[in-house]
Amino acid sequence: MNHIEISLTQSLDHCIKCNVCTSACPVAAVTDKFPGPKYVGPQAQRFRHAGQPVPDDSVDYCSGCRVCNEVCPTGVKIVELNARARAQIVAERGMPLRNRIIARAGVVGRLSSGPHAPLVNFGLSLTPLRWGIEQVMQIHHDAPLPPASSYTFRSWFKKHQPVAGVRKQVVYYHGCSTQYYEPRVGQAAVAVLERNGYEVIIPKQGCCGLPLLSNGDFPAAKGRHMYNVEHLLPYVRRGIPVVGTSTSCTLTLKEEAPELLDLHSQDVRAVAAGTYDIFEFLRNLYEAGELDTNFLPIQREFPYHPPCQLRAHRVGLPVLDVLGLVPGLHLNESHAECCGIAGTYGMKKEKYQIGMDVGAKLFTFVKAADSDLALCDSETCRWQISHGTGIATKHPIEILAQAYGL
Amino acid sequence: MNYDTIVIGAGIAGMLAAIGRAEAGERVLSLSKGHGTTHWATGCLDLFDIGNADPLAGIESLIVHHPDHPYALAGIDAVESGAERLRAACEAGGYPLVGSLRRNLQMPTAVGTLRTTCLVPVTMAAGDARQLPRQGDGRGPLLIAGFHELRDFFPPMVAANLRTLGFAAEAAYLQMPPHDRTLDFSTVSLARLFDQPAFRADVGRQLRQLVQHGTYSRIGMPAVLGLANATQVVSHIQSAAGALIFEIPTLPVSVPGIRLYCALEAALLRAGGRIQVGSFVQRAEGKGRRLEAIYSEAAAREQRHYAARYVLATGGIAGGGVRADHAGALVETAFGLPLRTPNARTDWFAVRFLSRSGHPVFRTGVAADAGLRPLDAMGHVVYENVAVAGSALAGCDPIREGALEGVAAATGWKAGRL
Repeated sequence: MNHIEISLTQSLDHCIKCNVCTSACPVAAVTDKFPGPKYVGPQAQRFRHAGQPVPDDSVDYCSGCRVCNEVCPTGVKIVELNARARAQIVAERGMPLRNRIIARAGVVGRLSSGPHAPLVNFGLSLTPLRWGIEQVMQIHHDAPLPPASSYTFRSWFKKHQPVAGVRKQVVYYHGCSTQYYEPRVGQAAVAVLERNGYEVIIPKQGCCGLPLLSNGDFPAAKGRHMYNVEHLLPYVRRGIPVVGTSTSCTLTLKEEAPELLDLHSQDVRAVAAGTYDIFEFLRNLYEAGELDTNFLPIQREFPYHPPCQLRAHRVGLPVLDVLGLVPGLHLNESHAECCGIAGTYGMKKEKYQIGMDVGAKLFTFVKAADSDLALCDSETCRWQISHGTGIATKHPIEILAQAYGL
Repeated sequence: MNYDTIVIGAGIAGMLAAIGRAEAGERVLSLSKGHGTTHWATGCLDLFDIGNADPLAGIESLIVHHPDHPYALAGIDAVESGAERLRAACEAGGYPLVGSLRRNLQMPTAVGTLRTTCLVPVTMAAGDARQLPRQGDGRGPLLIAGFHELRDFFPPMVAANLRTLGFAAEAAYLQMPPHDRTLDFSTVSLARLFDQPAFRADVGRQLRQLVQHGTYSRIGMPAVLGLANATQVVSHIQSAAGALIFEIPTLPVSVPGIRLYCALEAALLRAGGRIQVGSFVQRAEGKGRRLEAIYSEAAAREQRHYAARYVLATGGIAGGGVRADHAGALVETAFGLPLRTPNARTDWFAVRFLSRSGHPVFRTGVAADAGLRPLDAMGHVVYENVAVAGSALAGCDPIREGALEGVAAATGWKAGRL
C-alpha cells in the first residue's frame, strides 16, 4: 500500500465518534434513509472486508457532497470510504440499467446534442414522456434534465478564430456539459483566457468519469481517467496548465479519480498537479500580477453558490476573489451546504425528493435575493437551482467575460 | 490573495481574533481544518474553577503569581472584554449568555454531578444549583426529563446522583411526539425537531401533566431544545409546562456549542471576514523573524496564503494544534513553532490516570510574550507578525483549570485587538 492508500484506509482510526460530520450532513438532516456519514463511513468500514458481504446498503444514499470531509475536525476521509463501499456493492451485485445510463454523461450528451436537439428537448418537455422515462428508467419525472445544445462546443471551437500573436498556452478541459449542453460556458472561458494572452488548446478528451465514480462503476471510471491522462499528459509535461469550467470535473482529475481508483503513477500525478479550476487559475494569474484587470463596471448584485464540489478543492472561493475585482459587482455567498443534486443523485426517482429537501435552504436564499440571475460553478447545481427557484443561472466565467466586454 | 490577517483555527479563540481584526476594517481569512472544538464543549464559558470564590479576583492573583500563564499574557482587561465580546455575539443572535465574571455557577451535568462554569446560555440559567430545590426545603421538586431514544442521557441516573447531593430530584422519560424520523436520534436531529412548533408543543403538554401530578418547580432536559431558536423554544416549553426549564449539556455533538459557533460565524461574516473550512494548514515559510506565507492542504497541491499577520489558534493536544509524531516528539502542526513541553516522554503523564494535578503533557503549548508572539527556548521572538491564542499557548491546562473558554476568549480577543 502506498501512503495515500494508507491514509485513506487508516484515516478511519482518526475518527473520535464526535458526530460533527453527521450534524453537518445535509442528507441525514432530511431523510432517515441515510443514517449519517459517521455510521456509514468510519463505523461501518470496520465491518467491510474483502470477500465478505457489504454490511450496509444505506451507503448508496450518500450523495458524495463531501461536507463531512470539510467539517471533520480530525481529517477522516469519510466520503472516499463511502464511495469505495458503494463500488464494492456494485462490483458484487452489478449496476441497475438507470445508473449505467446516467453515469455515461458523454454518451447521453452525444446522442442528444446537435441539430436534432430541439426535438430531443421538446420530447423531454412532454410530461407523459417523462412519466414513461420514470417508469422505465427510474429517472424522476421532475428531475432537472438540461436542454441539449443544437451545436457542440468543439464544433464552435473549430470555426473559432484565435487571437493572433500570443505567447502563452493553456489547455481547456470542457467536460461533457459544456460540450453538449452549455457551449456558451466554454465560449466565455476561451474568450477570457484569450483576453489574458493565452492560446487555448483543446485536445482530445473524454468524460472525467465522475458520474461513473459516484455510481460505483470503478472499472469504467478507470478507463475514462487513463484516457484523459493519456491525452492531457503531453501538454502537462510541457508545463502547459489544464483548466476547466466544470468544478467537479477538475476535482475528479485532481483528486477523486486518483484517490478512489488508487492510481498514483507519475503520469496521473502530473496531470492532477497540472489541473486547475478556471477561477483558481485566474486567481493565480492575479496573484502573479498577470491578470488583465481592465474591467467594465457591472452595477449588479448576484446570489452566488459555491458548490460543495468546488469547496472540496479546498482552495477557498476564487470566484469571489476574482469577480470581487470587477467595479460595482457584488456577489452574495449562499452558505448553503449543498444544492441537493450532487451530480446524478437528485435525478434518481428514489432520491429526487431528498435532493429537493437538501436544496431547500439554498433555494430560499436565491429567491430572497431578488435577482433574475444566480451564479454557480457547477453545471448540475445550476440546473438544480433553476429548477428549485425558477431563476436563471450562469457560470461566473460568463459574468467575467461580460466584465471584459466580450 | 493578500489578507491583512489570516487566523488559523475556528474555535472561540480564532473566531474572536478574526472578528476583532475584521471589525477594525482589516481583510480577514479564517482557515480551519474542520469545525472547531465549540462542537465538542458545553457551550458555556468556563472562566476559572476556584470554587465559590470570585473567579476574576482569582485570575488577578494568578496573573501576579504566574506571569507566563495565558491569562497573564492577555491581561485582566482582555479577560473581561473578551468575555464581553463573546456575550455580545450571542446576544446579537438572540441567544444571550448569562452570569457574572465575579461569580461562578455550579451546573448539573449529564451524569448528575455539578460542574463549575461561569457564563451559561439563557437556556441553562434555571439549572443554577443555588436555585435548585433541595430535599426538605418544601419547594416543588426538580424533574429530570429525557427520551429513551436519546443515547447517553439517562434521567434516572441524573436524578439519583443529584439526590445524593441533597437535591429533591425525580426523573421521567417522555414519549417521543409524532415525527417523520424513524432512525435513532442524535442531539442535533432532536434539536431540529424541537425547532418545529408542533413537536415542542407536544413535549410541553406531556411536561404539564407531569408538573400537575408531581408539583415540579423546575425541569432539567438534555441540551437539545432547538438549534435555530433555542431561546424561543425553551420559553415556549416553559409556559406550556408551567415550570422553569433548563438544559443540561450532553456528550458531543454539543448543540449549545453549535449555537455558539453559529453566533460567532454570523458576527465574523457581518464584519466582512472570509471563512474557509476543511483547509488544514500544514506548514509555513518564514524569512528572518517574519512569517511570509502559509500552506494549507488541498486537492492535488497545497494552497499558498499570504497575510501581513497571522493568528495561530489551532488548540492544544485535545484540539489538534499539538501532536505527537512517530518518534514521540510533540510538534506544533501548523507552523512548526517551538513548544514548551515536558523534557522527556516519561514526564508526559502523572502516575495516576485521574491525578488531581493533571498530566504535564496537557500544559504543552507555544510560549509567548505579552504581545502573544511565539518565543523559542531562549525566549526570543520567533515571528514578529504572529500571535498565538487559546489552548495552543503554553503554561496552562485549560480543561483542568476550568478555564477553557475563558482563556480562548481573553487571548483570542487580545489577538484580535493588538
